[in-house]
Amino acid sequence: MSVIIISSDFYQVGREIAKKTAEALGYTYLGREILGKVADKYHVPESKLAQALDESPSLIGMSSKLQNRYLAYIQEAALTELLKDNMVCQGLAAHLYVLGVSHVLRARALSDSEKLAQQWASQEGVSLKKARKLLDRRKNLRRRWSMDAFNLDETDPSQYDLVISLSQIDQGEAVKIITETVSYRRFSPMTYSIKCMEDRELASRVLAALLEKFPDVRVRANGGTLVVETTALKREKRKRAEVIKKIAGSIPGVEYVEVHVINDIFRQAAESFR
Amino acid sequence: MAIITISRGSYSKGKEVAEKVAAQLGYGCLSREVILDASDHYHIPEIKMIKAIHDAPSILERFGRGKLPFIAYYQSTLTRWVQKDNVVYHGLAGHIFLKGLPHVLKVRVIADLADRVASEMKREGVSEQEARTLILRDDQERRKWTQSLYGVDPWDSSLYDLVIHIHKFTVANAVDFICHAANLEQFRTTRESQQKMDDLALASQVKAALIVDHHLNVAVTSEYGNVLVYARADDRATHKLKEKAKTLSREIKGINNIEVHAGVSMPPDAL
Repeated sequence: MSVIIISSDFYQVGREIAKKTAEALGYTYLGREILGKVADKYHVPESKLAQALDESPSLIGMSSKLQNRYLAYIQEAALTELLKDNMVCQGLAAHLYVLGVSHVLRARALSDSEKLAQQWASQEGVSLKKARKLLDRRKNLRRRWSMDAFNLDETDPSQYDLVISLSQIDQGEAVKIITETVSYRRFSPMTYSIKCMEDRELASRVLAALLEKFPDVRVRANGGTLVVETTALKREKRKRAEVIKKIAGSIPGVEYVEVHVINDIFRQAAESFR
Repeated sequence: MAIITISRGSYSKGKEVAEKVAAQLGYGCLSREVILDASDHYHIPEIKMIKAIHDAPSILERFGRGKLPFIAYYQSTLTRWVQKDNVVYHGLAGHIFLKGLPHVLKVRVIADLADRVASEMKREGVSEQEARTLILRDDQERRKWTQSLYGVDPWDSSLYDLVIHIHKFTVANAVDFICHAANLEQFRTTRESQQKMDDLALASQVKAALIVDHHLNVAVTSEYGNVLVYARADDRATHKLKEKAKTLSREIKGINNIEVHAGVSMPPDAL
């Protein structure tokens, strides 16, 4: 009875391990298949959601505001599913937002770079040196993405409970290690850890509802109590707090909303120069 | 039957893990012994040896060849010790010194900074701020050392087969993981992998012996006891090097043949 989150330096590798782990344990696999549902719910293109999970914001690509919004939608959908327990989640960046929940095992599988480079070189018809360079570039882009999207370095091993390199240890063995590990008592859900997960899920629902109007909001939940932080001009403070309270208060599970509005000094300075 | 290297930061419980793994598998456990043996074998004061392999090179040392002799001596001693197999090594840079050997299980044990700070405070009786500064400085020193000498970041998980975070896991869990992995087929010592180990040990010994004799610009490879020495040297120095190589073929056990090549590019995998 627990949740496993699998991250990998290459999506396909992580997906294979996650699927095998789910199969071995009889758990439900939660992957990018839910993006279709998310797209329908929020009326956004599914391809854009996948793009938000893969690419950093850029001038010609997706803006950071839009990326944050799409990621919040995905986060909300993933956390709702993860509340059900007995899940293996992969490909939804959950390792970057399901933090501090004790019954969640966070594992990372690192692909055999040399083998991948050889595969690429033969598939794409490029030299091994170029294939290695391309792989390194892809890894760096992925790292940059995690920093841009969640301000966390996904290559940092301290973000995980266990990191397994697949250079010497094969996939089957990695799956075995993960399935054995999750049977440890400390990965069983406890009242407190379930509450932590519920708080994150509630916060994510509120965030998804607020982001369209207020792209800079930050939400924390504790029980039914919400703390929402945002920035606004002095004269807008009251109105903004009221709107936030109204939107957040209408979400099931929210009992009390506390809004902290910080003075937006940049906008204030810009207005005073007009 | 394997060699296990455990990389660890200070107060990350890596030492405890290493000792328990060694006890459980009936392996030898190595760390400080290598430094003591290296300083004894190459007649270098222990403190100098520790400083050379622990502290990151200074700006001046980066331009010269300051630390390279000490590292060659250390690697030569380490490879001699682990050549016998069934060893857990939890000293410095084992994953780098023993790179490319298939029967070496490379593990890194990490712990949360808060737990490490608490351990340092308890042991050294210092304030939280001081403890944090000491630990971060030590981490930084290790990082700089590995990056400046080998161009890799010790925090990079891809250097290891397993990275275990002692937070949700206990020391006993980590020991179980490592023992389980060490018993995998992939990490069993085969005749080929032992040959690779012997070649690495031989090349390391030859390089250290050449450095003792002030031949600094050399790179050494060995394959089935056939040793190739690559040198950047003029005719006179090459002649001297060839003479030394002849002596070494008599002094060091395991050398079938030794050749000196001057003026050719050094292979990237050479020591």
